Amino acid sequence: MGRYIVRRLLWVVFVLFVITLITFLIFFVMPPTDPAINFAGRQPTTELVAEVRHQFGLDKPLVVQIGLFYKRIFFGDEYGWPGMGFSFVTRSALKPIILGRLSVTMQLALGAAMMWVLLGIPTGILSALRPRSIFDRLAMGFALIGVSAPVFFLGPLFLYLFWYKLRLAPGSGYYSIGQYGLGTWASHFIMPWIVLALLYAAFYARMTRANLIETMGQDYIRTARAKGLPERRVVFKHGLRASLTPVVTMFGLDLGALLGGAFITETVFNLPGIGAYAIKSVASGDLYAILDVTIIAGFFITFANLVVDVVYAFLDPRVRYS
Amino acid sequence: MGCATRWTQGREDELGGEEVGQDEAWIHESTGFDKGRMKERGEVVTTKRTAKLLALVAVLAVLATACGGEGEGGESETPSVEVTQGGTYRTSAEDFGFTGAFDPTGEYLGSAWGLYTSLLLRNLVTYKHVGGVEGDDIVPDIAESWETSADGLTWTFHLKSGVEWGPPLNRDVTSADVEYAFERINAKSLAAQYGYYYTGVIEGMTGQEKAIKPVSGIETPDDSTIIFHLVAPTGDLLYRLAMPATAPMPKEVAGCFKRAGEYGRYVMSSGPYMIKGQDELDVSSCDTLEPISGFDPTKYIVFVRNPNYDPATDESREANVDGVVITINTNTEDIYNKVLAGELDGTGYPAGEPPAPILRQYLTDPELEDKLKIDSGDRTWYIFMNLLVPPFDDIHVRKAVNFVIDKAALQKAWGGPSHGEIATSIEPPTVLATTAEYDPYATPNHEGDVQAAMDEMKQSKYDADGDGVCDADVCDGVLMINRNYPPFSDMSPVIQDNLAQIGINIKVRELDSSTAYTTDQTVENLIPIAANAGWGKDYADPSTFAVLFLESGISCTGQVNYSEVGMTQAQAEECNVIDAWNAATSNGQNPLPNVDEKFTECNAALGDARTTCWTEFDQYLMEEVVPWAPYLWATVLSTLSDSVTKYEFDQFAGTISYSRIAVDNGLDPNTVPVG
Repeated sequence: MGRYIVRRLLWVVFVLFVITLITFLIFFVMPPTDPAINFAGRQPTTELVAEVRHQFGLDKPLVVQIGLFYKRIFFGDEYGWPGMGFSFVTRSALKPIILGRLSVTMQLALGAAMMWVLLGIPTGILSALRPRSIFDRLAMGFALIGVSAPVFFLGPLFLYLFWYKLRLAPGSGYYSIGQYGLGTWASHFIMPWIVLALLYAAFYARMTRANLIETMGQDYIRTARAKGLPERRVVFKHGLRASLTPVVTMFGLDLGALLGGAFITETVFNLPGIGAYAIKSVASGDLYAILDVTIIAGFFITFANLVVDVVYAFLDPRVRYS
Repeated sequence: MGCATRWTQGREDELGGEEVGQDEAWIHESTGFDKGRMKERGEVVTTKRTAKLLALVAVLAVLATACGGEGEGGESETPSVEVTQGGTYRTSAEDFGFTGAFDPTGEYLGSAWGLYTSLLLRNLVTYKHVGGVEGDDIVPDIAESWETSADGLTWTFHLKSGVEWGPPLNRDVTSADVEYAFERINAKSLAAQYGYYYTGVIEGMTGQEKAIKPVSGIETPDDSTIIFHLVAPTGDLLYRLAMPATAPMPKEVAGCFKRAGEYGRYVMSSGPYMIKGQDELDVSSCDTLEPISGFDPTKYIVFVRNPNYDPATDESREANVDGVVITINTNTEDIYNKVLAGELDGTGYPAGEPPAPILRQYLTDPELEDKLKIDSGDRTWYIFMNLLVPPFDDIHVRKAVNFVIDKAALQKAWGGPSHGEIATSIEPPTVLATTAEYDPYATPNHEGDVQAAMDEMKQSKYDADGDGVCDADVCDGVLMINRNYPPFSDMSPVIQDNLAQIGINIKVRELDSSTAYTTDQTVENLIPIAANAGWGKDYADPSTFAVLFLESGISCTGQVNYSEVGMTQAQAEECNVIDAWNAATSNGQNPLPNVDEKFTECNAALGDARTTCWTEFDQYLMEEVVPWAPYLWATVLSTLSDSVTKYEFDQFAGTISYSRIAVDNGLDPNTVPVG
């Protein structure tokens, strides 16, 4: 197992290298907007653009630019380690910006993940155990609505209804625990968590239900019942464990992707997360910011894959890595 | 030294003349504005165009407040509520949008200029920070008085006493601080984005200096005197000196930052407010400086009162509020809802266009009608045509486009008259009053005139059979660049439909704003036509629009002269468009007339002659060059909450007037949550 994990970690590094290289080629070779021109004003002169390009390091050969980028990542830069470079837009170090925003995205993603797991999986289990009951129909109706209502619809709706009209929740924005206290922090996160969780909870409920119904029809479940095991033990020890394996896979990938940025939720609820920052960086040609965010998003997705694969071995005794 | 004219604050003119308005007349003369023009602008309500606008005002009750009785936007004050002192003005924006990381030397964003000139920085001269025509008047700021030599080449400014830098500097603002601002503009490494207003104007200013060093054309004989030696008389010099890059800078702090944009998080205040946390800076050395805590360029900026500010030295700012807090909110609709809910005091720093349902609410709800403010944006939105690219290399085609465009439909796509008046020339009337009555391509109700367009098309080389419809291959699949979001994307089908009527079939490519501009700015792309572009004034002088058509406006990858007016063969070769240039100039005609000489002539003129010259320049462009089809003179929409007891617009910056607004929310800017 240890060798497997090491091999997979090396693979993560390789994947990140490839992702960075592709991103670099896309944005540095054919940038959607020229950051040097953006920084040279409304009537950019050739001299001014050349000067800005020089200060941004964009006048160097591409190979040198990407070499310097990797060097900064591994050995740090004037702003510390790991070197994330500086923003072309704010002329500030990117590291505190990115790390600050990553923290907000993690708070959003982890809170929402907790909600959708606590909501989606039990709902799916109960539905699977009483198929075609009123609860099952209501739960699957809810799931259908959840799946059909995207965040860009639910988010503004929640804001309008629960903040603007009913005043049951505070409005948008991020208020850190350290500065504003637990209550203010949580109250401002509650709507984004719910909105983001609803979509995923719906998926998880449907998936759990389908898997569990299928599992409960397996021969080994019938055998377990025939041996006289209590129904609770049959369901939770034998049925659920097998049926949740694909759900775990999905959870890992979903959480990894969200940690790379839930940009719609962040934008709608005005959360200064990494996803909203990525979108802004692309629009403004903030090239190092784009690269940094890409690496972080890529890391979370590939790392989540690794974690999922490792967890598999514990959930499913048939899976062994050697 | 010969003294032809002199401005002295609060005293009669020393050289005699009319008692009333003498000083004002001098300013207008020196800046190119005569009283006649001012009167004309003040009486815009009597013109036919404005009469129509005011009719609309009657329908849209909100405009009654916004435009006031003078027919000028932005001069309104919230009625029947006593102006209060204290409190905090809270507003939000989608993004600060800074172009130069908020370093005054390079920053070229109007909204940033509003923050500098209203709150942070004091120039030699400034504006009144009010809306309408009066908002474009120049008044003294830290200059007590000034005089100019008879030949107009030497300008001497005397500084007021009692103007101090905020803590921790706690010292007088001196002429050396003003001179240092010009040294920075002159340094290549600091990328002064509008340095061209000074280079070649003041002796020794080239913008190409490798180090920050004294400028030969600027003298500071003592702490309160600064002398500028000009290369040539410059009619609008005072306007140029009112721009934030020329505001004094403290060398002990600004001198630590020698690359573009780096000073943006350390801007020291000489104005009524400072960025929260400025007083905590350790300015003992460059190494001890940390970014000011009240400014996070991706989240917020907080302004609090500068304890060293003496209002007795300032006639243009009221400084009613205790502070201003601007936070970033990525959700435009949420910003407007927060204003409605009273969690913000208003918009003002550009918050994006108000969503249609919210705007409708303001326009139709009597309780909200005085909470929507509509002010002139001094901005023209236009469709440009490339003189190098067929079929727009034929002036008759370009005129036909001007006739056939349904400008009323484009205005509707923008959301109606509250978003702007239909444009009929390049210069908006708020910048050049004579354009108010000028419409060389007038059509019934601005809905386009297909017959007039076809008559023009018949005269073009692309209509061989003379039926008024383009029958050449070049009229098929003509690329048009546009932005990929409303209102621009809503305009695309209108333009496509309009141009199809004269045989030009448009293929639209919609891009995000920045990419669309970059695409237009690259000469080699040879973009035939585009609808993504707009232009606003730098200051209220026609030259700031006319500059778009100069030969120098053509740069291979960063041009602003998108139509390539006056492109030379050398430029065409440098930018790899020589084939197109040869084709466009092959018939012995010159479709690329150079307007530089005319520009220079107008820019040197003063008074009535200046107005006349720019009027002729504008008409020449519209009728003899026809690079654009202008369609909208945009307004600025702001919404307010009940907490605002006084509203004012800053015409120079095109934003809410932070130094004159008043609120009664009782909030302390130091404790307002910023997230």
